[in-house]
Amino acid sequence: MSTYKIPVGPLHVALEEPMYFKVEVQGETVVGLDITAGHVHRGIEYLVAKRNIHQNIVLTERICSLCSNSHPFSYCMALERIANITVPERVEYLRVIADEIKRIASHLFNVAIAAHLVGFDSLFMHVMETREIMQDTKEAIFGNRMDLGANCIGGVRFDLDAEGKSYLAAQLAKLTEPLAEFRKIYETNGSVLRRTKGVGVLPRQDAIALGLVGPVARASGVDYDVRRKAPYVVYDKLDFDVQTLPDGDVWSRTMIRLREVSESVKIIEHCLRDIPQGPISIDKIPDIPAGESIAKSEAPRGELIYYLRTDGSDKPARLKWRVPSYNNWKGLQVMMAGCKLADIALIVGSIDPCVSCTER
Amino acid sequence: MTDMQTIVAKGLKAAAPDRHQLDFRVDVKGVTTGWCVLDDKEDLLAVARFLTEHAARLSTITAYSTEKAKRTGNFEIAYHFDLDGDTLTVTVHVPPESEVDSLTPLFGNADWPEREMAELYGIKLRGHPIQQRLFIDESLGEAVFDQYIPYSTMVNAATTKGLWEKVIAKGKEEVTP
Repeated sequence: MSTYKIPVGPLHVALEEPMYFKVEVQGETVVGLDITAGHVHRGIEYLVAKRNIHQNIVLTERICSLCSNSHPFSYCMALERIANITVPERVEYLRVIADEIKRIASHLFNVAIAAHLVGFDSLFMHVMETREIMQDTKEAIFGNRMDLGANCIGGVRFDLDAEGKSYLAAQLAKLTEPLAEFRKIYETNGSVLRRTKGVGVLPRQDAIALGLVGPVARASGVDYDVRRKAPYVVYDKLDFDVQTLPDGDVWSRTMIRLREVSESVKIIEHCLRDIPQGPISIDKIPDIPAGESIAKSEAPRGELIYYLRTDGSDKPARLKWRVPSYNNWKGLQVMMAGCKLADIALIVGSIDPCVSCTER
Repeated sequence: MTDMQTIVAKGLKAAAPDRHQLDFRVDVKGVTTGWCVLDDKEDLLAVARFLTEHAARLSTITAYSTEKAKRTGNFEIAYHFDLDGDTLTVTVHVPPESEVDSLTPLFGNADWPEREMAELYGIKLRGHPIQQRLFIDESLGEAVFDQYIPYSTMVNAATTKGLWEKVIAKGKEEVTP
């Protein structure tokens, strides 16, 4: 049978962000895939070298929307390592709370999109409605639905008093019932299972060979979570389970995210219980000496790594970061081999791709 | 020494004997970062090979030109490897017009970061299977990070106004009689 090349994208493959796939098909089976990137390359790595260390907190928060907090968070950690700054313990708890709130909202967004791509739009709306609880929470605590502006060098820019803590606890409690319901639907609903089980499989050895990270790798049985493997802030003191599943299909990737939402709720509740009193930032920022450092964190999509090099001036000599999606695109070539044309959007959505993150 | 430190020190001794500097830092949580500078960039593949034997994952690659490097014309390339949570950064110095070995035969995910440093800094790769650009348009020359070019040109008119002007201009060319 002869093969045809079909263009998929660049616009609206699974989401609004542009990525162009040249798909080779035989009948309606995919036999080859070529990915063309670069539609939203904004040269942010160049821009950060022209901004001072404080301006870059604002700029890095705008690399991505769904994982916006992970960027300034990791960037501040990298700077603090070079300047030998120890942040107060209360700051470490507050940073965890901000990051886990973002993780819940990000994961629920992808779980909702998965339902939409399956064609189960009432479930999509139900999940989005539940995600709205977290959006409201962000707006109430940080004053914004996406960019929290939570981090600064040596501290955070928000605090939780007794009222704030009980508000957050009450918001989290609202998630319990719908989360249990979603889990039941994704585990038992025939429409969901038929479209997602055994589809877009990524075997464990391929996930390792291609260096995939985050929920995508964990759904293929790779037991790696930065929060556990390379603990930062107070993750070493917090109680949570790293989620893994063995099958590596679209269903597993969705389930991992759904389970991780529950783990994040657990983490935030743990923080609210144990958070000590204390200052929310250091008193004075010391001069940032010349040096280099690495900071890693577990962003919603997986390992985020920042490399910072300073030369004693107020601008970074080089600031480089690699987002989890950057690695995960490669997984698509394995996942799509032999899949049906109709499953392409579903598989692309299942890696929870972030294009503006990837291209910067 | 932690396991990671022992493995790295031993491996480097075998792969690049007397041709490297090595330093470790351990943070308060017990997470290690290793910092290695290779004297000779030709040792890179041997070092990368021993890392594959210890289940290392290539996290990313950073290319940069420091103030000192700008005087000598060299680039520095830092390869960041993950070893079960710990990070090893291996740095090599690359003179202009010379090539650096591609890690793609050992680490499949070296493909994108290597193509990116090639287009941003004009670094030449030896043994990379794909020569195509990754993000930057072919119409722009090499090494956009080191050129005097308007920012909006570099980002391929990724601003709404610039993109719209391109679309309008293209539309005028394609008017059918």
